Amino acid sequence: MIFEPLQLGPLTLKNRVVRSSVGGRWDNYDGSGTEVRINWELKFARAGVGAIIASNAPIHARGGILPGYALIDSDARIPFWRELGRRVHEHDCAYILQVNHAGRERILPGLTYRTGLSSTDEPEPLNGFPCERMTVEQIREVVGMYAAGARRAREAGLDGVEVAGANGMMPTQFLSSAINDRKDEYGGSLENRARFGLEVVRAVRAAVGPDFCIGYKISVEERLNELLPWLKRGNSVAESVQMCRWLEQAGVDYLHISAGAGFPHPRNPAGRFPAAEVVKTYDTLLSSGRHTFRNYLAFRTWPLSRIFAWWWQRPGRRLGIEGINLTAARAVKQAVSVPVLCTGGFQTASVIERAIGAGDCDGVTIARPLVANPDLVRHFEAGLDRPPRPCTYCNKCLFNFVENPLGCYEEARFDSREEMLAQIFSVYEPSETVAA
Amino acid sequence: MTSAVFQPLRFRNLEVKNRVFRSSISGRFDNYDGSGTEVRHRWDMKFARGGVGAIISSNTPVHPRGLIVPNYAHLDADDKIPFWRELGKGAREYGCKYIAQIAYSGRQRDIPGITYSKGLSSTDRPEPIHGLPCERATVAQIREIVECFAQAARRAREAELDGIEIHGCNGYLITQFLSPAINDRKDEYGGSLENRARLPLEIVQAIRREVGDDFHMQFKITAVDHHNALFPWWGKGTKIEDSVQVCRWLLEAGVDGFHISSGSSFPHPRNPAGGFPIADTIRSYDTMLSSGKNTFRNYLLFRTPPFNKVFKWAWERSAKHDGIEGINLDEARRVKESVSVPVICAGGFQTQSTIATAIEDGFVDGVSMGRPLIANPDLVNLFEAGHDRAPRPCTYCNKCLINFIENPLGCYEQRRFDSRDEMVRQILSVYEPDPVEAMPA
Repeated sequence: MIFEPLQLGPLTLKNRVVRSSVGGRWDNYDGSGTEVRINWELKFARAGVGAIIASNAPIHARGGILPGYALIDSDARIPFWRELGRRVHEHDCAYILQVNHAGRERILPGLTYRTGLSSTDEPEPLNGFPCERMTVEQIREVVGMYAAGARRAREAGLDGVEVAGANGMMPTQFLSSAINDRKDEYGGSLENRARFGLEVVRAVRAAVGPDFCIGYKISVEERLNELLPWLKRGNSVAESVQMCRWLEQAGVDYLHISAGAGFPHPRNPAGRFPAAEVVKTYDTLLSSGRHTFRNYLAFRTWPLSRIFAWWWQRPGRRLGIEGINLTAARAVKQAVSVPVLCTGGFQTASVIERAIGAGDCDGVTIARPLVANPDLVRHFEAGLDRPPRPCTYCNKCLFNFVENPLGCYEEARFDSREEMLAQIFSVYEPSETVAA
Repeated sequence: MTSAVFQPLRFRNLEVKNRVFRSSISGRFDNYDGSGTEVRHRWDMKFARGGVGAIISSNTPVHPRGLIVPNYAHLDADDKIPFWRELGKGAREYGCKYIAQIAYSGRQRDIPGITYSKGLSSTDRPEPIHGLPCERATVAQIREIVECFAQAARRAREAELDGIEIHGCNGYLITQFLSPAINDRKDEYGGSLENRARLPLEIVQAIRREVGDDFHMQFKITAVDHHNALFPWWGKGTKIEDSVQVCRWLLEAGVDGFHISSGSSFPHPRNPAGGFPIADTIRSYDTMLSSGKNTFRNYLLFRTPPFNKVFKWAWERSAKHDGIEGINLDEARRVKESVSVPVICAGGFQTQSTIATAIEDGFVDGVSMGRPLIANPDLVNLFEAGHDRAPRPCTYCNKCLINFIENPLGCYEQRRFDSRDEMVRQILSVYEPDPVEAMPA
């Protein structure tokens, strides 16, 4: 099943393995793209994934999660994305741009905008990142930015766009009953909370036309209170499924299932909380939010760090990491007729086969296991069920990327630390082009 | 009469069109692995275009272990040569010389990066301010480092750059050997002044052997350590008499010019002399918390009144007393009186008449600038147009210095701009492709 083509609306993928949106701080601080990002994407394109979903591409400078990511906020950015798409296409791999506005989920706000925009003026609860409540006029502007970003992706010759509607990004901040506290037509009932995401999809569709692939990533299990029990839980699975039905009606070509009303979240990426590594890079965030210093003290203080890690790791222990979102994906798949992609720790061919065969999803998206083994699909092709040195879900990649180049930092996976560093630094080596 | 600032400066192997050097300063514009980028190229061209006679590159590690923070282009391998060749070529198009500052940080590594968790030094005592850890270099390791300097110099020559500057100051490796307040060795590299000066002299000799006699080599030295500037109970470190002697030896070993700075650490209250911007420091210093064993203590101090105010007072005291612009001039003159090659000097210069007087009165032969050029990259062009100072001079607030860890290097003194937007625009301009109309014919 893995190697059967997959149809996402107008787009055909050669197989069912999609590189999920993951990328390091490869680009310039001002949001212009670099050769390093191209090298990064080519690692995966070359190694056989059916499609790559770009790491989040902010549709506006205020919508970035942290500096160092290429933006899609103006037409001047199109040539970079066109070149990136062209190079990826040389490997018969599709390229889907993830258009994103982070809202209040900005781990390093950067120089230009100190506060984010959101449905609410309540700070993000875990780190205390500040935000301003959007006016209806600002909402309209942001909806227009998604549409403009998508139009640029099409003009750049890319194969589709995915609205980053999961993981606590702006659309989650509207959709989630645990976050959205508005009293106007964008808050309150599910219909009202869904309005923003649906308007985004309709505006994007209007901008790109009927024959361009549009996906939507959604956190079906929101569980904002998974970590901090005094918070609200957020939408039920039934509410998320209803949103998926509406999204289908609004014109999406596929749905992409994730979890968590914030990022990171114990369910996404599920796995370890490596306190010693976290302390080394979380320090950079100390000036970003009003709870970061409290968190930092907890992360560096035994036994608080152990208790936090134990608490963090609970869902992964209980539910298993690989395929943690499959139940949610099945619930969505039963309710819609568009294809469903699912993320969450996949790296075993038989597990993926079973998920697709059982009708839980139509394809999988993979981030950490591909960071560890960019050639994962080649291993599957060669008949291996798992790569010899699989991803350990240690989440060191996740916590290192703030200060260090994104890569696999699990030293246990390598013969030596030098070998690990060589793999991490390989992203800076010029990559050859297939004969022009 | 043409201002002394615009007289050419002749070294033995190099002629510079005027007396203003862009001092070694740059942001974290390169790749984490030490490969160079377009952004660094644009950064340096800002100053070439703005009229400086020569650019001294920002610190260029001769080995990855010798970096200060990641994201600075290295000269540690031959595959780096093409990048530097382009940079030199770009500067020459503006009639500007390009000098590579070859450097080794030693224990003073603000962000060590992922490759080497500890630096090498003359000592195994941590760097005292942040508590950055280090290992005592063995004699074999010292020989390797000397060879790294020599090879980096050869690469600079192969890249057709106009010369090299050995980074011998500001608390980096060479200071860690020269300074009696830091060097605690019992072998031939510690103890007497001769022994402490052995490393820089070996470096100079090794470079000369490698690049020949006709390639420009200047040496940047901390003339006075002022090691006890913050904590009066610390030792004073190197005194001017010792530095003058070291410069004489370096001259015999083949140095073509000297560049005078001060301070046994970086930053230091006298270099860059000026403000201690508390709010900006809190925002950026957090990134360094995992770098050393004193950083958390420092961070708490920086964010806690009134301790931060007291620290600010202590930091700014010394420069307030001696003045910022030309703070190193007396030391520069002491060196100039004892050597036969040109001497340039760093330290807050941004007033044409001050620079001209310093040159005419025989204190120095030229000056180098860091912060004032960040504020006004076209300062030399302004001098040429008759300004004595830029309309909006550098305020020595040191916000540039503090911000570079997390943010693009640039002038962060909002008061110098009509708006914050204008300031951010100037900072981010380093990422924009060069304006075509500004390219030389």
